[in-house]
Amino acid sequence: MTSLNTFGAILTYAIELEARLAAYYQGSSRAADAEKRRGKLERSRRENVLEITLEAIDGLDAANYAMNLDDRSEAGQRAVEQVAARFYADVAPKINVREAQRLLEKCGKEHSALAG
Amino acid sequence: MAKRLKNYIGGEWVESRASVYTPVINPATCETLGECPDSTREDVDMAVRAAQEAFPEWRATPVMNRAQYMYRLKTLLEDRFEDLSEMVVKENGKTRDEARGEVRRGIESVDFAVSVPVLMRNDGLEDLASGIDEDTVRQPAGVFAAITPFNFPAMVPLWFLPTAITCGNTFILKPSPQTPISMDILFEIMEDLDLPEGVVNLVQGGKEASMAIMEHPGVRGVSFVGSTPVAKLVYETCTRNGKRVQAQGGAKNYIAVLPDADMTASVKNIMGAAYGCAGQRCLAAAVVVGVGDAYDKMRDELVKQASALRVGYGLEETTQMGTVISAAAKERIERMIAQGVQEGAQVALDGRSASVNGFEQGNFVGPTILENVTPDNIVAREEIFGPVLSLMKADSFEEAVEIINSSRYGNAASIFTNNGKYAREFKYSVNAGNIGINIGVAAPSASFPFGGQKESFFGDLHGQGMDSIDFYTEKKIVIERWI
Repeated sequence: MTSLNTFGAILTYAIELEARLAAYYQGSSRAADAEKRRGKLERSRRENVLEITLEAIDGLDAANYAMNLDDRSEAGQRAVEQVAARFYADVAPKINVREAQRLLEKCGKEHSALAG
Repeated sequence: MAKRLKNYIGGEWVESRASVYTPVINPATCETLGECPDSTREDVDMAVRAAQEAFPEWRATPVMNRAQYMYRLKTLLEDRFEDLSEMVVKENGKTRDEARGEVRRGIESVDFAVSVPVLMRNDGLEDLASGIDEDTVRQPAGVFAAITPFNFPAMVPLWFLPTAITCGNTFILKPSPQTPISMDILFEIMEDLDLPEGVVNLVQGGKEASMAIMEHPGVRGVSFVGSTPVAKLVYETCTRNGKRVQAQGGAKNYIAVLPDADMTASVKNIMGAAYGCAGQRCLAAAVVVGVGDAYDKMRDELVKQASALRVGYGLEETTQMGTVISAAAKERIERMIAQGVQEGAQVALDGRSASVNGFEQGNFVGPTILENVTPDNIVAREEIFGPVLSLMKADSFEEAVEIINSSRYGNAASIFTNNGKYAREFKYSVNAGNIGINIGVAAPSASFPFGGQKESFFGDLHGQGMDSIDFYTEKKIVIERWI
């Protein structure tokens, strides 16, 4: 059980999530999209960390965002995207730097669209 | 094998002449990360001579070209951002977020230095008298040095170095011997800038190297950040030796919480101010003064949130508070807590027995809250530099301001309130160099001077912002008439 209790823990989890999705979708355009999101999230983790307003974050647990990445069926892909969309919807309001929050919201929207 | 650090002088990595090397210890794992030379006067002299030799050519390098080096430095720092942050965690003990935040603020100073071509411009006046014009030009002043602390091993050196060299000066950096490796990495990064040899120099070491810098006739000015007794010594030594000096000392930062403040949100921010970097920053919140009804609510919320903080090894992303710098620091902090209790404080939350699984030897002190603290208690008077928050009560806003202004320090003070009148009165009447309104860490960004008053600062011109341009340049007035 991993608590997503810091700015870095959330961004790092999002970066790893996109890396896993890139591998999951290997060979399709969705893999490139996941890679692109991963790059943006890495930049956000680097650029949007605001030392003077770092605050503890509570109420988020990585265990709630488990994905079945063995199921590559259409339904499986939809389920994966739903989890990703839910993750971004949950974490974005917890971040107190607007630029990072906006990126997380955007990632969430993209996953929502893929979830159908 | 632990790395034996070298100095970087005249564009080369050179072995120090030191006979003593100090181990650089990871304060969480107690692993030896490196060995820091206790550089000698000869080492410093070699660095000063290299910087002096480089100065004429560097000052003649067009300022736009000097600024280009800063663009490149920014790119290189972004590329090595995670490496540098990780080393800050390893040698200092803070969390990853704190280390990333520190490196980001360091890069902001590089961003600021890019604006030097604009900021070095000055003013003039035609026809001051008939046919006579007067102009001011800013010129670089020579060799500058910085002696920097362990608590922000990447950020504080970057407050000084980028602006100093972009103004056309040459530079010597002496980092803390407790955290010297971050700057070893920075200089490794800067090698790829291909700056002329001698423009930037790194001398690792302790007191002997610091004294040599302060007493060397070839050094024009010194920037220092550290404790108040040492800042005072640096100021006195440098001025006695005819140097410019900006010496930033210790602090005892107060926060006033008014009854109308949003208590949950305010306390969340105060947590970061008190326990961020394990309380080892000169802007750390040390004393919170609850005004009237605010006290009880604030106290309960502080204890609740502080108890929930996850203390651990900074390299783990989920760690919310890391270690203090050394076993000696841990011992000193715990001794001050005990003395505070002896003098009448009561322990609302005790971090003295903190232990972290897998890191039992680490220098952990958990979040600590002391209440019923009176102004004469040691924990209200002296800088603890650890994760210890003292709570005091005031009957009125005016009493809170009186308590805050009675401190011999004046680095920062904050107020949490939704009342504009009190917020305005606070910033107007509190004697501190950095004021926070609903923000616990009142840290100025790179384009503003880092304030500090009373025994928190010795000198005239602060680091950062326009003060740094004034510090690193000479103003020359040209009075011109053509006959």
